[in-house]
Amino acid sequence: MLSAPILLQLLWTGLAMSSAYCLFAVAFALVLKVNQVWNFAQPALFIAAYYSMYAAWQGAGLPTWVGLALSLAVTVFLAALLEWYGFRVFRNRRSASLTFFIFTMVVSQLAVSLAELFVGTDARALQSSVMSPIHLVGVVAISEWDLLALATTAVLMLALWLLMSFTRFGKQMTAVADNPELAALYGINVSRCYLHSMMLAALLVMAGAYFIGTKAAIVPSSPLNQFLIFAVIAALIAGIGRVFAAGVAAVALSLFQAFSILVIPSRWQIMLVYILIFVCILLFPQGVRRNPRRLAAVEPAPVSQTSVPQP
Amino acid sequence: MIEYLSVLAAMALINVVLAVSFNLVLGYGGLVSIAHPIFFALGAYASGLLARDLGMPVPLAILAGGAIAMISSFALSVPALRVSGDYMVITSLGFQLALVHIITNVEFTGAAGGLTGIPSAFEGPIRGQLGLFAIAVFAIACVAIVRWLMHGPYGRAVTAMRNDEQALESLGRSPMAIKVMLFAMACGMAGVVGGFYAHHFLYLTPEQFGTFASTALLTMVVVGGAATTWGPVLGAILITLLPEAIRFLDMPISVMAPAQGVMFSVLVLIFMYLRPQGLLGGARAGGGVSSWYGSRAERRVNGGVKP
Amino acid sequence: MVRLSRRAPCKWGRKALNRPTLEISGLCKRFGGIVVADHLNLVIGGGEIVGLIGPNGAGKTSVFNLITGFVSADAGAISINEQRIDRLPAHARARAGVARTWQNARIFTSLSVFDNLLIGARDYPGATLFNNIFRRGALLQARATQGDRAEQILKRIHLTDKAEVFASELSFGQQKLLAIGRALMNNGPCLLLDEPMAGVAGHIHETIGEVIRAEAAAGTAVCLVEHNVGFVRELCHRGVFMFAGKVMADGPVDQLLEDPRLTELYFGTKPVKDLPLVGVLT
Repeated sequence: MLSAPILLQLLWTGLAMSSAYCLFAVAFALVLKVNQVWNFAQPALFIAAYYSMYAAWQGAGLPTWVGLALSLAVTVFLAALLEWYGFRVFRNRRSASLTFFIFTMVVSQLAVSLAELFVGTDARALQSSVMSPIHLVGVVAISEWDLLALATTAVLMLALWLLMSFTRFGKQMTAVADNPELAALYGINVSRCYLHSMMLAALLVMAGAYFIGTKAAIVPSSPLNQFLIFAVIAALIAGIGRVFAAGVAAVALSLFQAFSILVIPSRWQIMLVYILIFVCILLFPQGVRRNPRRLAAVEPAPVSQTSVPQP
Repeated sequence: MIEYLSVLAAMALINVVLAVSFNLVLGYGGLVSIAHPIFFALGAYASGLLARDLGMPVPLAILAGGAIAMISSFALSVPALRVSGDYMVITSLGFQLALVHIITNVEFTGAAGGLTGIPSAFEGPIRGQLGLFAIAVFAIACVAIVRWLMHGPYGRAVTAMRNDEQALESLGRSPMAIKVMLFAMACGMAGVVGGFYAHHFLYLTPEQFGTFASTALLTMVVVGGAATTWGPVLGAILITLLPEAIRFLDMPISVMAPAQGVMFSVLVLIFMYLRPQGLLGGARAGGGVSSWYGSRAERRVNGGVKP
Repeated sequence: MVRLSRRAPCKWGRKALNRPTLEISGLCKRFGGIVVADHLNLVIGGGEIVGLIGPNGAGKTSVFNLITGFVSADAGAISINEQRIDRLPAHARARAGVARTWQNARIFTSLSVFDNLLIGARDYPGATLFNNIFRRGALLQARATQGDRAEQILKRIHLTDKAEVFASELSFGQQKLLAIGRALMNNGPCLLLDEPMAGVAGHIHETIGEVIRAEAAAGTAVCLVEHNVGFVRELCHRGVFMFAGKVMADGPVDQLLEDPRLTELYFGTKPVKDLPLVGVLT
């Protein structure tokens, strides 16, 4: 059972799935870092992306590129709305984190309900056929699709890294992530940075949705029940503020899940993810490698500074 | 018609207990727990199984169900609250989904088909009315207990905790201990009413306890008014009746459920934007928390009428 | 659980008792590259009023956070009346008798003034469900004693007429007074005040000064962080000058303030490395 070809195939399967999970994790971690928000509304972005592609291709029969462009526009627009009319409003009201949690969760629930209302609870894939040419590399079956997914993810990660490290755009976001008040004093438009990070996250989520949906069919509740939790665990393991580490953690988690099939029946595999949350919370509440810079952020700051937070 | 109203009343009263107990968690404890319906489920399934398979008398089974729910709550609250309340959301989501998954995939709970053959609490021709009466008594007791508790010194401590946890800690109280015990009490209440539910409706399926139920509870508390005595009661009654109001539109069940989900989510969002304190929440707010209505100051200012 | 006795009234007036009330030795804490406490040693006896002074970022508030347990130290020992508290969580240290105030008052806005004081009591039995359900008698008794104490403190901080007013309606100065009163409810051997005078108007200065002196006279070890040098001179027996997490000087306030090297440190005109560490002067 534990032969090399099987292990290698599992490795590849894990890697292939990891592309989408990596994108979700990085998107989540980015918003957590820059906007300082646990974006539990990310499933809503996924649903917007996924079902707009579905509507474009399976519904209206539009060409691939049109569908992609449309979906990107819809998702980015939704992300901008979430930030501008959601997070910004509550931030200005100095709402407690309780409010953000409720808001994001309810937005996700709304998205799931809307999807179930219009599309039903059946599983749907983005393309009628999920087959793609398979090549045999040694003993491992590698589909072109998986290669495309991995390559795209790698390119997106590289692009994001270059963006964050070398462009003014990216560096401003990092500055806002570190200290929004100070960034504002230096003339950085903080609201615009918040918008940008949400829009970037939307792009990543949309790409992830594409790779998931062109491989398998999903139900509307999957993004909330499955993908979100993966993304959060990855962000927790990596540590708050470490965006690319979250991507790496997601890949590791995906491999872990792939290999778990060796010891766990498939219908219990999802339990691993749920158990993993508890393990993470208990063992790494601040992330795996204790980032000293982030420990400074743990230093308790007074909750009510000058004005009193509103509900 | 009587039958229909009786069922509706029973559901409304059960929702009252659920909303009041969820308010303890969310409104007083300040914790966003998605998992509240699962403690309802734990109490219901435990009570049903104990009575059906082990022959335990129904009242005892109901109490045992409540105890099991209460003890299970520590498995969630202690890890999740160890560092900060921020992790409660995702941990409770995981807890909820995990337990629903287990219930759905394990034989002895009846799996996805549900648990049947649960012994009824009462026998005889008026068993429905007796059951309703028992639930009503329990609901009133819950509201009364919460009100009494929150008017007294405990309410003072909980309000202070909601205002500023660290300041409370610097005075010698442990906010984590308060939250864990509040959470345990709330889950115990939900577990007991779960037992009532099981022995009244005699049938349980795992899908009743999923994230849709969490949204419904959230709506009840947010719309009614968090951290008030009567807010969740009003919210529970409204949210129980609201879907009935659109039932007459005769939509298929596959549309009804998500339509309700949409309705509840939209309601919560509207209230969060326009009236965060809910219908019955106090107009005066300090730190996002209404003033403590147990204090003499509140009586002086608001003329003695308590929300 | 560390149970420490209430500090006895000091028979020798304002002089320190033989046993130090608050003792810190070798306290270290760093956040990445920032050192907030560098082998810090500090001893405060009962009845002493010690002023922690130094420029911003010297680590003064951090010392308070370290003592009270809101930040855990990397190394070092903290003792109250010779009992170690550095392994205890923050709320346990408060129960051991370390009371503190914060720079921003941080009073409970949803409670009345009187309630703010009541909740400050070191042993507040109403905070547990168990006591509320099973020990009502003890609860009522505590309410009576604590209520009396709260009323006495209200008189001392001159807020008796505001007892049933919501704390959010007080002026900032009154809120700080309330915060001090709340800390007094702890009735403990050690009182830490973080910038009690900051942002506070004239007559409240006097009240705060009176309260501090009275507490010290009764034997409490009082430590304040304060930027208002005049206030420090007027009130404190001793000053401790901190810089970059170290104690640079420790002695009578006048001597400290006249030391030109410390003045330069405060205003940053001379590089730190050129200054030798001044030892304890008493």
